[in-house]
Amino acid sequence: MKKKLVFWVLTVLMVSALILTACQPSAEPAPPAEEPAQVEEPEPVEEPEEFVFGMLLVGPYNDRGWSQAHHEAGEYVMENLPGTRMIYLDVVNTADRPGTTAAQLAEELVQQGAQLVVFNSDDMKDDAVEFTRNNPDVYVIHASGDSVWAEGENYVPLPNMVNVMGEMEYGKMIAGCDAALHTQTGSIGYLGPLINEETRRLVASSYLGAQYCWENYLGNDPADLNFRVTWIGFWFNIPGFTEDPTQVANEFINTGVDVIISGIDTTEALVEARKATGEGNQVYAIPYDYVGACDEAPEVCLGVPWYNWGPAYLRHITSAMNGTWESVFEWLPPDWGDINNHDTTAIGYVSGPGMSPDNEALLQQFIDELAGGLNLWVGPLNFQDGTTFLAEGQEATDHEIWYLPQLLEGIEGRSE
Amino acid sequence: MKIGFNQINKHFGEVHANVDINFNIQSGMIYGILGENGAGKSTLMKILSGFIQPDSGEIVLDGRVVEIESPADAIKFGIGMLHQDPLDFPPMQVIDNFIAGQEGGLLLKHKGIIREFKALQEQFGFTLDPEAYVDTLTVGERQQLEILRLLWLGARVLILDEPTTGISVQQKEKLFAALRVLAQQEKTVVFVSHKLEDVEVLCDKVAVLRNGCLVGEVESPFDTDQLVELMFGKLIILKDPESVSGDEIVFELQNLYIEQYPITIENVNFRLHAGEVIGLAGMEGSGQDVLLRACAGLQRPVSGRVIVNGEDLTGKNYHEFIRKGVGFLPASRLEEGLVPGLTLAEHFTVTSDEKQKLFIDKTYFRSLSEQMIDEYRIIGRPDTPVESLSGGNQQRAALSLLKDSLSIILLEHPTRGLDMESSIYMWDKLRERCKRGTSIFFISADLDEVLRYSDRILVFFSGRVSKPQDSAAIDLDQLGLMIGGKGWEQEIANEETYEAISNA
Amino acid sequence: MKPSRTRNISILFQLGGLVLAFGFVSLILLLIDADPIQAFSLLWEGAVGNTTRIASVFVVWVPIVLVTCGVLVTFTAGLWNIGIEGQITIGAIFTTGVIRMFLDTPVNPVLVIILSMLAGMLGGALWAVLAGVLKVFSGVNEIFGGLGLNFIATALNIGLIFGAWSRPGVASMSGTEPFPEVYWLPTFQNFRFSWYSILLSVIGLVVIYFLLQGTHFGLRLKAVGKSIKSAFRLGITTWQHMLLAFLVCGVFAGLAGALQVVAVYHRLIPSISSGYGFMGLMIGMLINYQAIWVAPIALFFAALNIGGIQLPIVMKLDSALTGVLQGSLVLFVLLMQGVKQRVLGKQ
Repeated sequence: MKKKLVFWVLTVLMVSALILTACQPSAEPAPPAEEPAQVEEPEPVEEPEEFVFGMLLVGPYNDRGWSQAHHEAGEYVMENLPGTRMIYLDVVNTADRPGTTAAQLAEELVQQGAQLVVFNSDDMKDDAVEFTRNNPDVYVIHASGDSVWAEGENYVPLPNMVNVMGEMEYGKMIAGCDAALHTQTGSIGYLGPLINEETRRLVASSYLGAQYCWENYLGNDPADLNFRVTWIGFWFNIPGFTEDPTQVANEFINTGVDVIISGIDTTEALVEARKATGEGNQVYAIPYDYVGACDEAPEVCLGVPWYNWGPAYLRHITSAMNGTWESVFEWLPPDWGDINNHDTTAIGYVSGPGMSPDNEALLQQFIDELAGGLNLWVGPLNFQDGTTFLAEGQEATDHEIWYLPQLLEGIEGRSE
Repeated sequence: MKIGFNQINKHFGEVHANVDINFNIQSGMIYGILGENGAGKSTLMKILSGFIQPDSGEIVLDGRVVEIESPADAIKFGIGMLHQDPLDFPPMQVIDNFIAGQEGGLLLKHKGIIREFKALQEQFGFTLDPEAYVDTLTVGERQQLEILRLLWLGARVLILDEPTTGISVQQKEKLFAALRVLAQQEKTVVFVSHKLEDVEVLCDKVAVLRNGCLVGEVESPFDTDQLVELMFGKLIILKDPESVSGDEIVFELQNLYIEQYPITIENVNFRLHAGEVIGLAGMEGSGQDVLLRACAGLQRPVSGRVIVNGEDLTGKNYHEFIRKGVGFLPASRLEEGLVPGLTLAEHFTVTSDEKQKLFIDKTYFRSLSEQMIDEYRIIGRPDTPVESLSGGNQQRAALSLLKDSLSIILLEHPTRGLDMESSIYMWDKLRERCKRGTSIFFISADLDEVLRYSDRILVFFSGRVSKPQDSAAIDLDQLGLMIGGKGWEQEIANEETYEAISNA
Repeated sequence: MKPSRTRNISILFQLGGLVLAFGFVSLILLLIDADPIQAFSLLWEGAVGNTTRIASVFVVWVPIVLVTCGVLVTFTAGLWNIGIEGQITIGAIFTTGVIRMFLDTPVNPVLVIILSMLAGMLGGALWAVLAGVLKVFSGVNEIFGGLGLNFIATALNIGLIFGAWSRPGVASMSGTEPFPEVYWLPTFQNFRFSWYSILLSVIGLVVIYFLLQGTHFGLRLKAVGKSIKSAFRLGITTWQHMLLAFLVCGVFAGLAGALQVVAVYHRLIPSISSGYGFMGLMIGMLINYQAIWVAPIALFFAALNIGGIQLPIVMKLDSALTGVLQGSLVLFVLLMQGVKQRVLGKQ
């Protein structure tokens, strides 16, 4: 009896599964009703005029951070450049896609019709170069790379590649200034990811901004400003390997830090700042990467330095379509007219709700000074170990900033 | 309840396990099903209790043809089966086990049930503690619990499959008394066994099965020779074997002191001659198993020495003992004797001396196992997995795996669960080895066996070891008394003189 | 029942599990308004649509085969070698270490590659034996010991990539500096796979098949796996065999890790083991520990992995879906094995 029952149930299950599969195409026209504004058709309809660009995102397309900023830039291009269509693949990293390489995945995008491919991570550098070399007919934009910078240290001449990066140094300077304006204790903590040239120059920029505002706007003694960086070891928390960013943030708070600048991809700094503030100890945080990053804990968010990749992508994709493509390395400054203009700027700084009006004015003054040509990368500046980086009056070159070998004197924390 | 078997047939592959079985069992009696291992008894009972379905034929209960699809079905019809290994749920308390299987009633009225349980067990003179945990019970007590449980579930027919295996003499008496009470209460008791002596004292009527066929029904009082002839198709006469013991000392225990909670064995001195057979008698857990394992290198003594062929092996591991000519056949064959899932041929391969080679010569081992299967009369093929062999055949296979040139073989319950023919065969094979100079240490709960086959006997009582008793000079009653702990004052006195003599 | 009929029924049940798994995934697809037919044809197309894709499938196939071969040995000995992920990782670390040692030396690159792969096997074996030693001598269950060792291996790997072996100035998620091309296992034309890798995994398959089917060692492992107590009583040195099983498995895992370095990534990357270890365990269970099925089932899983890339690109489906398909496949097939035993066991 039981045996028969089991057979019967199985048969029904199998048959229904088969019917479901078999009937599907005729039965439903698949209306994407509750899908939020999908611009493009799911089917790869090849129109002769259409220009397809592909994008490889290192993280999830909706990570409220680095990758989402790129994804939204792609959507911006489609809105502003008729006849273009984006295809993308997210979580392109070996942990999530075992056995694959970014180069191989880029080829899959090409197979789906992509004529231009965006690699959105520095981690994809080797693959981007390999792919670009092997596919001379495909245009490549490698964001945050330096491969085609003739003066750079990793120069590879690749006519079909463009490198794009925003001058986040300005964003971080503004963040540093913001932090200095708000700290009551004179202690600023920088929650650092892993140590490399890029992260070093961003920490240094934050410090330069903080120091400038502390001294010139608040009239304080530079010696009273305490600026510390703690590296957790990666872009986000990996239990057991990285330091726990939550603990690092708490450690900051417990030792008198009341503004935390985050350099990592996740939001522990905001969360811990809110918690401390809730307990009566006012602490602010400044997140990173994405224009909407403050939403996690707006009341303690001073602002966020953010990337705006849209205009640069629009420009390069247009030139690829027009046949005016040129291999360049671009390190793009903000639009000093309006650093938060989505159509023009490469990086911006959005003030958060935690900002007080008085300080807002001072911060705007700082931005205006930067716009007016204020350069903080001017000597005398020493490295952390006391050796001279820039002599009195000497200005740093792009090359010296990009490949910054050490943190600056005055910053507490490891240089490597 | 009246049970009728009507033309029952059952095949397992090539084997025709039940052939046109036809007979009736009246209620209010103890009905025996007799037959050697593999005769088809268990198959028939599994059909009756719903574990398997017949290929053809029908079961008639009180004149009504019924289809029994599952054990749960069977219990609805009032048929309960007690297995060779009672199915229980070890981590539970007795009382929880008792109510397991009851339908409905998640809200258990514990106190009421304990009262009912006590009332029920009183009828049969059982004295189980309802709060005790099942895993602390002996096999006999688990059996009692299972009987109570089945009765409480409403069983009017109770099937017992080899229930006297692995229980003590006292528990057996208790069981038989309880079964007689059940018969008086107009319940039907079906008693499946291969043990003539049990069937003879207990049953009102027996059906004898051989090779899947019903070969006869006999009513009490029974004629033993007739039953034997029905079972085996020929008459078997038991005769006491002659001793082949020699003078050479192959195995020696010196001042052995072993602790294995709760047993402590002190100061054992013993010398074993080549070809000698020593029986270790005692109630289960009196220390004989501990001593045997110490002799095999499986139990490290606290002090004293174990000497094999003049070589001190104390503290060496079991494999060293094997290499030095010690063989060990444990009681739980499928747990620590044979490897379930491996075939007979694979067993011969694993234990052969050829194992240093890389590749298995399958043809060689196939023919080797065919030869051994033949020699030890194992019913099975080289590619038969050992777990599908019957108990007797498993025991023969285990024996056949022991090397030929052993100095001593240690056996736990060599014939437990075996029918008479298999037992006799087993001992024939062991005696053959004795003639070639192998000595034997064996544990058995069957005192007849101990008396019949031993040259000398060591009696155990809660860790005490008697001095060696000459089996010719002791009878069953004396042995039974010693096992029960009587007559030890005399023994102690003897021991002291014995020690005095050996110290002198 | 005749054996051939039993086998047919078994296959029927396995197929049933397959159908159920696909049905289940179809159901999920329907629930998220996606077309299952399109999804499955994309999977197929994505795996075998052109030679590049087929080559990519084989790139994934190689480590899965090697790892599955390894776990079959430990499974046979009744061991759950969860630590296999760590063994792959350590294999890769050893391989990278050896190549780094010989960079900028005049030693023949071919010799370096061979040496580095041997070192990888050694590393995997060491890590596996460590799990075995923990089990045998300290009574640490190999599952917990393995998990702990996986953890340590990952930490060590990331520590090296971001620390001692990091690229000059730049610690990067993309791993260590790629090796010069002379230290790459030669690939076939412009495809990503190397005949040498394929050859090694085929050799591995053959070795494991004969080891488990035809050798005394394999049979003794089987005995230990089926009943450790009985095996001991029959004279088998049980803990030694358990360690040997770990060792053999570790050699295979280490080789998989080595090939990840010399044939696929040409550097050490943070997730070098790529989850192949767990996939191997899954396949081992799925094929009921029969070596003969390793190659086709590994191919199937590799194809799912590669074909699955199309789903997010074309249909914008979540990238986790192929994982769901693989997981439900294993679950349903195992479920059907259970059902089969219940049904057949009754007769």
